[in-house]
Amino acid sequence: MNLSPSIIIEYLPALMRGLRMTLLLSAICITTGLVLGFVVSLMRSGTSKILYACSTVFVEFFRGTPVLIQLFWMFFCLPVILHIDIGAFLSATIALSLYMTAQASEAFRAALLSIGSEQKDAVMALGLPRSTTLLHVILPQALIRAIPNLLSISVSLFKESALVSTLGMTDLMFEGETISSATARPLEVLTTVGAIYFAVGFPLTQIVALVEKRILRRIAL
Amino acid sequence: MSDYHFDFFYVVHGFARLMQGLVISLELTATAIGIGTFSGFILALATSSPNRLLSVPTRLFVETFRCTPALIQIVWFFYCFPMLANVFWSPFTMGAIALTLNLTAFNSEAYRAAIQSVPSAHRDASVALGLSKWTQALHVVFPQALRFASPVLVSNAIGLFQQSSLVAVVSVEDLMYQGKILAVETYRPIEAFTTVAVIYFALSFPISQLAARVERHYARLLA
Amino acid sequence: MSAAPFLEIRDLRKSYSRGAIPVLNGIADTMTKSDRLVIIGPSGGGKSTLLRCIMGLELIDGGSIVLDGRNYIARTDNGKTFIDRVLQRQVGMVFQHYTLFPHLTVLQNLILAPVKRNRERKSDAIGRAETLLSRFGLASKLRSYPSQLSGGQKQRVAIARALMLDPKLMLFDEVTSALDPELIAEVEAMILGLADGGMPMMIVTHDMGFAKNIATKVLFCADGTVMESGDPQTFFAAPKAQRTQEFLAKILRGTKV
Repeated sequence: MNLSPSIIIEYLPALMRGLRMTLLLSAICITTGLVLGFVVSLMRSGTSKILYACSTVFVEFFRGTPVLIQLFWMFFCLPVILHIDIGAFLSATIALSLYMTAQASEAFRAALLSIGSEQKDAVMALGLPRSTTLLHVILPQALIRAIPNLLSISVSLFKESALVSTLGMTDLMFEGETISSATARPLEVLTTVGAIYFAVGFPLTQIVALVEKRILRRIAL
Repeated sequence: MSDYHFDFFYVVHGFARLMQGLVISLELTATAIGIGTFSGFILALATSSPNRLLSVPTRLFVETFRCTPALIQIVWFFYCFPMLANVFWSPFTMGAIALTLNLTAFNSEAYRAAIQSVPSAHRDASVALGLSKWTQALHVVFPQALRFASPVLVSNAIGLFQQSSLVAVVSVEDLMYQGKILAVETYRPIEAFTTVAVIYFALSFPISQLAARVERHYARLLA
Repeated sequence: MSAAPFLEIRDLRKSYSRGAIPVLNGIADTMTKSDRLVIIGPSGGGKSTLLRCIMGLELIDGGSIVLDGRNYIARTDNGKTFIDRVLQRQVGMVFQHYTLFPHLTVLQNLILAPVKRNRERKSDAIGRAETLLSRFGLASKLRSYPSQLSGGQKQRVAIARALMLDPKLMLFDEVTSALDPELIAEVEAMILGLADGGMPMMIVTHDMGFAKNIATKVLFCADGTVMESGDPQTFFAAPKAQRTQEFLAKILRGTKV
């Protein structure tokens, strides 16, 4: 078995291009997902039964089906329904953003529910008006408590982004697969691709763990 | 909105093939879960071992599988493993191995947290009773760790069922693969993919709901 | 010191699950402005519920409460519970679990209600908070977060937070029960200081020494009714009811009172 590390060096620029695409896509979908996810979590925690039903169906469906099918569905089916040509980038962005929305909304909701009911007692005993309670007591705590979960979801999205290669999007995974078959050297190329994902993913997970510990110390009563 | 006629005729026609794919998906899932539930525990013991010769490599193994996309793991296994080990197994086997290793890594993290929450008093008691390390691990630690970790183990298992769809990329003829073929052959992506999505959902959702209910029931019991 | 009743509780009833689980079965008592009412009794006897009803955290199912001569809480004929919100604001309560807002500093915790509820000017509120905390020796903790305080400090901040709103009646619900023993004294000292300053208060506690020290009147509450009440000396020395005697015997076993 002969390894040829020079292949890696030769094709590293192409892989870096792919990584750039991966990071760009991840950043867009994470941001969109966080904002929409917050909105959806409000719908899930509110009093309107219709909003609750719709948002619940949405969340459960995007959490209960494989990401791959979501991608394929957006890529193949949306153009047919909407009669417009949607490229791989747009359909991938839509699919991953919706997936992120569903995950993020659950994280926000869990954070909201984790605020103990004793806080309600304190708020009532102090006679705080409703708006103050929501804005100054509930919301800040919910956001802080949701951060560790949201961070780990974001790292997951970064990993799931590799799936867009199946739609032909030129992300890191796609570049890797293309080069690997073109050079017939899967071992060197695919291992490098894995290593690049690891080099980004591992520090991120360590940061998540660190943030979680520091936040727990702050919020823990 | 559209002059697209929802015609499930084609789907009904291809339903048998979808079911064949589903069987493959379930086989992959079952294999991974069957092995991963136990191997995860063993691996957790290794990663929390005070012996650094054991804990460092195993921790590296776990982190590799946790911090990289499942897709690259599956693709890597499919292309690189045969070269390294000089064996030529079926795509199914390759997929099964990759999925099992993936699940093992994630489960080991769940077990590691659970092992730490098993009261050390139990371990002290085991030593006092003169139980061997293995007996202690098997009969005292494992059952309790299993109980503490089961919510995460269940959600890992459901997640694995959905991730099994990735083996379609390496041409394993699972549900996803058959769905894609069907969509392409019949020019009816909406019906085909929607059906595939519904099948995945129909299997995942009830189980996760059931698991949540069981968990709540036991939480109340043990509170 | 007026001897006219300040707080009157008349036939208070409260149950959960639509009457299936009765908690308060006709509690009746009065207290004057100079009273420090201590309520003792077994768990589940309704002590905390009583306090929570007086604070308006729980809605009563029957009876009424009169505060300072005015109707405070009452059950109306059409099945609703009426609470005078103006009077409610004159009642302050501190709980077993400090419930300070963890994401705000001590100062922010203290000024939140005065600023947002009473529309007080922020600078005024800050000034009052600083004075109040200095009085209780907590001035150095102004900018600390609750997680940086000890249990005793947290509880004292919680009391200060309630005091910022100038209450006319203070309710203390087992405020030392969750504290390590060595931290209990500082909290009880603070409450004693308040009492000496003339604050009417109702205290639920398990600490019999503290009860004896501070009470002007003791209530023994079990099964949702007041089984016995009286002044502390006679109460602890020679309780009349059988149930009271049993309870005191269990509590005081081994305790030097």
